[in-house]
Amino acid sequence: MERFAFFPGCLVPARYPAMEFAIRQSLPKLGIEIVDLEGTSCCPDPIYFKSKDKISWLSVAARNLCLAEEQGVDLFTNCSGCTATLSETWHLMHDNEEVRDKVNERLATIGKEWKGTSRIRHIATLVRDIVGYEAIRKTVVRPLEGLKVAIHYGCHLLKPSKIMNVDDPNNPQMLEELVRALGAEPVRHEKWFLCCGKACANEDLPDTMMRDLLTTVRSVEAEILCLICPTCFGQFDYGQLKVARRFEEDFHTPPIYYFQLLAFAQGIEYDQLGVDRQRFKPEALKRFPVMETATEEESA
Amino acid sequence: MAAAQQKKDVVRVDFAFKRELAEKVEGNLASFCYQCGACVGDCPAMMYTDDFNPRMIMLKVLYGLGEELIGDDSLLWECTNCYNCAERCPQEVKPAEVIISMKNMMADRGIYPDGVEKIIATFETTGRTVPMSSAIDKQREKFGLPPLDEVPMDEIQKLLTPAGKGEK
Repeated sequence: MERFAFFPGCLVPARYPAMEFAIRQSLPKLGIEIVDLEGTSCCPDPIYFKSKDKISWLSVAARNLCLAEEQGVDLFTNCSGCTATLSETWHLMHDNEEVRDKVNERLATIGKEWKGTSRIRHIATLVRDIVGYEAIRKTVVRPLEGLKVAIHYGCHLLKPSKIMNVDDPNNPQMLEELVRALGAEPVRHEKWFLCCGKACANEDLPDTMMRDLLTTVRSVEAEILCLICPTCFGQFDYGQLKVARRFEEDFHTPPIYYFQLLAFAQGIEYDQLGVDRQRFKPEALKRFPVMETATEEESA
Repeated sequence: MAAAQQKKDVVRVDFAFKRELAEKVEGNLASFCYQCGACVGDCPAMMYTDDFNPRMIMLKVLYGLGEELIGDDSLLWECTNCYNCAERCPQEVKPAEVIISMKNMMADRGIYPDGVEKIIATFETTGRTVPMSSAIDKQREKFGLPPLDEVPMDEIQKLLTPAGKGEK
């Protein structure tokens, strides 16, 4: 088992505990041991609090990184926003001496110092790089054969690519491969690259953008939309409902967090997934049974 | 008359604005912008609004036309923070990052959209953007998850209050 600190952030543990449940179910099966950190705060968010004061934002983020450093482990996040904040903080602290000094001065007031010994990974890159597609495939007992899955990468997993260093932002393949590892069929919609729109204070812009995006998802006849960020999830669930009402058009594209899809493919029952609270429920999943394999007892 | 009119139309570079922006983390990056417009084509805010254009915003920054950018109802809040502009920029300007630095300047002046101010206040008082509650813990229990931990706010407060400012 490889050990990694789990940085849960705000949205997943508080608003989408079903996602946290799925993560805690699926990672041990992939040989990852979760180390829980005590005293983490909001990452803090890379949109609103960062807009107030970057140095305060960096200081709180660096404190979260220190908690992982104290445990001597690298850290993974379950949210693209947390990944953006923590990765950007690591890079600014590493590359910019002036920033590093200012932030470490504040950290000294609580007896901490950022050293840069813990690196940050989004949970999707954790399973890609540490576990690997083939090893994921081996844990699947419920192959999702024939399930057509559109993919929303979102912005902060990939960009800025020099900092995130995850995949080609112009033609990423990682989530397609992760979906294929579950036996499902990824389909690429024309506007796959668009943003979820959550960070705009403007209402019009995200609604119209979301309508365009969902129109292209519908045109490739995807049954569900797979994503890896709880903020994007909110936009595609509640946000989709808003857009459907505003434009009087039913796109009916149930979103699902990749790690819930993984947990389901690894054998968790549909009713346990916690998707009953979604506005758009991924009912297409119900047609997939657990594959019957002869256990040793049966063959004996 | 003609001469006076002409003088009025001349753009006066506001160096004070530029100096203030340069104090912010990565605020000075706009200096490297040569107005090629590579940031424009993939900008969602450009595609879906009439007034947002990252090249024009960087041009105004170069001129130091701060008042057009950081007043009430600033169009900077239309930025989706997607970083496509930073991806495309051959000069490594990161327009999205310069825009956030200008939002820091707005914050210094106490100008925020209401919704934004609320989220910031929630973080500053609870250490989370979604505060803890018994309803959340009940939901978590359904999935066999423990209640949420308190955030050590004494530590967070110290980090948010620069040395010498909040202390007597």
